[in-house]
Amino acid sequence: MIEILSDTALTTVQDLGRFGFLNWGVGASGAMDPLALAGGNLLLGNDENAAAVEVQVFPFAVRFHVPCGFAVTGADCAARLDDQPLLPWWSGEAAAGQVLHLGLPANGSWRGSRAYLCLAGGVDVPCVLGSRSTQLRGAFGGHEGRALRQGDRLRAGLPGAGVRPTGFGLVPPALAMPLVSEGMVAIRVLPAAEYDRFTPASRDVFWSAAWKITPQSDRYGYRLAGPRLDLVAPIELRSHGIVPGVIQVPHGGQPIVQMRDAQPSGGYPKIATVIEADLWRLGQAPIGSRVRFLESTWEEALAALDETARWLAKVHELATLQGGRAGRA
Amino acid sequence: MPLQHVGQISAWFAGTDIALLELRGPGGSLTLRQHHGSITADLDENASCTAMPPAVLDVVTAASVGVFLHRHPLHEAPLVRVGERMQAGRTLGLLRIGALLLPVAAPRSGIVAGVLVAHDTMVGFGARLFELLPLQP
Repeated sequence: MIEILSDTALTTVQDLGRFGFLNWGVGASGAMDPLALAGGNLLLGNDENAAAVEVQVFPFAVRFHVPCGFAVTGADCAARLDDQPLLPWWSGEAAAGQVLHLGLPANGSWRGSRAYLCLAGGVDVPCVLGSRSTQLRGAFGGHEGRALRQGDRLRAGLPGAGVRPTGFGLVPPALAMPLVSEGMVAIRVLPAAEYDRFTPASRDVFWSAAWKITPQSDRYGYRLAGPRLDLVAPIELRSHGIVPGVIQVPHGGQPIVQMRDAQPSGGYPKIATVIEADLWRLGQAPIGSRVRFLESTWEEALAALDETARWLAKVHELATLQGGRAGRA
Repeated sequence: MPLQHVGQISAWFAGTDIALLELRGPGGSLTLRQHHGSITADLDENASCTAMPPAVLDVVTAASVGVFLHRHPLHEAPLVRVGERMQAGRTLGLLRIGALLLPVAAPRSGIVAGVLVAHDTMVGFGARLFELLPLQP
């Protein structure tokens, strides 16, 4: 059992997402950085898809009311258990009464913006439509269908001392699988249905510009600022299905990337779509930072997905081995 | 300590800004004090100090094959510096095995006396990584 000590905002329970219900108007939800969620879970011997606490506003603190194994992944936020510092992407075990503090995300060799607190056995909330993710728009899933508040208490699936071997960590995937272009986080995208309806100059600048992530960016979508993108001629589209990663360009010419809590339909022209394997890179890009878009192909997008799957398989194998060894020691 | 060396040591001592120098050996002890430019020497050839054991350093070795890291891959600062006091169990360094990072922990509380391997070096099982001066023998 953990208790939220911070007067927090926008902190939610998330797993990898709720899939297969877009046709009913139910969005995907899920962790903005699925690799951090899966990595933290694998450190604890959990299923990759176990639910965790996604922290977006710092500092943040929880108190453990019972002993419990945990892992903190995602943004490097100077985590400490009482006064003991914890390395980034690391697992530990808290005794009853101990407080886990997360500070402001650090400006290291990689800067993230969201941290994940995973618990042994996962955060024990009901599974709704196949997922434990919080669906804020529909007010269901996660913890009571809402963001966490000070005083909320969450149970771990497998609480207790020594239940899971802890005390080791992972090389963050941003270092293991870096993708940087001219010093900026690079995001691979596929040209989308209306790409050819934009002017050649707009198409060129879409690839060459440094797109700034504005403060109007959240789990629903990222509003980007940069050169204006213009259509050759205005087009009217009926609302149609969209998924996280779709980059729409409304009338102002400034793109919006749909993120995990995006509504499942929209009618703006789509210039491109972020490949699924790179959504985590964008999910961690801080407000105020700049990103670049790299043109990709369907084959490259699948290969990138394979690369992350291989990374997770390797993490799973090594963490299981290490867990077994630590368990015997 | 041969008496004839005291003069030489005193001369070297006078060239420093050290106020007190104590030398202990199996043959006795020598204490040199420097105060306003004058040096006093006490030579005690009594064997009372022979019981002073030499400091024994703990050597912390690699528990597995891996790449030794002296700092976390996301951090610029090393995990420990020579002269730093560490509690038992605290992380001195890391071993990277693929995607995994394993801690190299202090076996007991002590002062870091030496970092024996450079950051980002492949090491074998049992490789000597740190010297630690134990605080309690």
